[in-house]
Amino acid sequence: MHEMSIAVDLLRAVLCAAEEHKVEHVEEIEVTVGAMRQVVGEALRMAFEVVAAGTLAEGAALKIVEEKITAECRQCGEVFQTSVLEFLCPSCGQADVRIAFGNNVVLKSMTCRQ
Amino acid sequence: MKINVVRSVLEAGEASAAENRRRLDAAGVVAINVLSAPGSGKTALLESTIPALGDIRCAVLVGDLQTTRDAERLGPLAAQVTQINTEGGCHLSPTQVAEAIKGLSLDGITFLFIENVGNMVCPAVFDLGEHLRVVLLSTPEGDDKVAKYPPLFQTADAILLTKVDLIDVLDYDAARVREDLSRINTAAPLIELSSKTGQGMDEWLGWLRAQRPGPEDLHAPRGRRDDRGQD
Repeated sequence: MHEMSIAVDLLRAVLCAAEEHKVEHVEEIEVTVGAMRQVVGEALRMAFEVVAAGTLAEGAALKIVEEKITAECRQCGEVFQTSVLEFLCPSCGQADVRIAFGNNVVLKSMTCRQ
Repeated sequence: MKINVVRSVLEAGEASAAENRRRLDAAGVVAINVLSAPGSGKTALLESTIPALGDIRCAVLVGDLQTTRDAERLGPLAAQVTQINTEGGCHLSPTQVAEAIKGLSLDGITFLFIENVGNMVCPAVFDLGEHLRVVLLSTPEGDDKVAKYPPLFQTADAILLTKVDLIDVLDYDAARVREDLSRINTAAPLIELSSKTGQGMDEWLGWLRAQRPGPEDLHAPRGRRDDRGQD
């Protein structure tokens, strides 16, 4: 249930941005979550609901967009898209990659009442 | 109204992990995050590894939901041992590790083993500031776990198949593990090991000794830590 600690960090980012923009209430939050983070959307929503209670993001809807995995082969430099199930380089057949994208968790936007 | 933000949500944790790594680098310590399911033999591995390393001094941070049992087992063996109780938390966080490191004297320490909470999902997701990851898979867990938990094995610098003394009893198919790893991680060595019989210990200790920093690469990147999005 690592979604709880991600929810805590997400709330911190949301409240920080809300303060900067002098927001009264946050109604919707768009967040991208890298596939390598193995986040279950429902678990993140539930955790966020709990941690956001009593704040100006209480009841805010979470729109979760998955960041797909882009891997870079350490052997031959090939850059390719993949899923968490396989890290096999289509060019050289090794599975020795650096994850270029797929680890990020980014607060993209918030729909708010001011 | 819609406000575009674009802010990394995990930056506080990532900054803490990077700071841990800087601190350990400055002290010449190699930190090894040890990950596996509960009961795969992480503590037993350290119990046999630390004395076998002889003059190479080790410190251990042990993460568990409850109890100090693992720290009590390792206390007489390592130079320093600190237990971190997460009290329900399913993984260690970089800030917990930062706190624990403050209480350690890193002088003369070569390896800091961070025995994570037993769990194959959550600990894989968080960088603690380690240099290397060692992932254990014990034979009683089954030979299908690499395919079931690919991100854990993808981030490993070494993979230990533990309790191999049970291979015959369990009809364990180690070839299946190798076959799955051929699609997930071909860079990390797979070492078949038994802490009980000592099988594979030489290979494991050889790998470990090779990770010691030499004088010229004290601050050079080690392992595959750029996978975790740092530096």
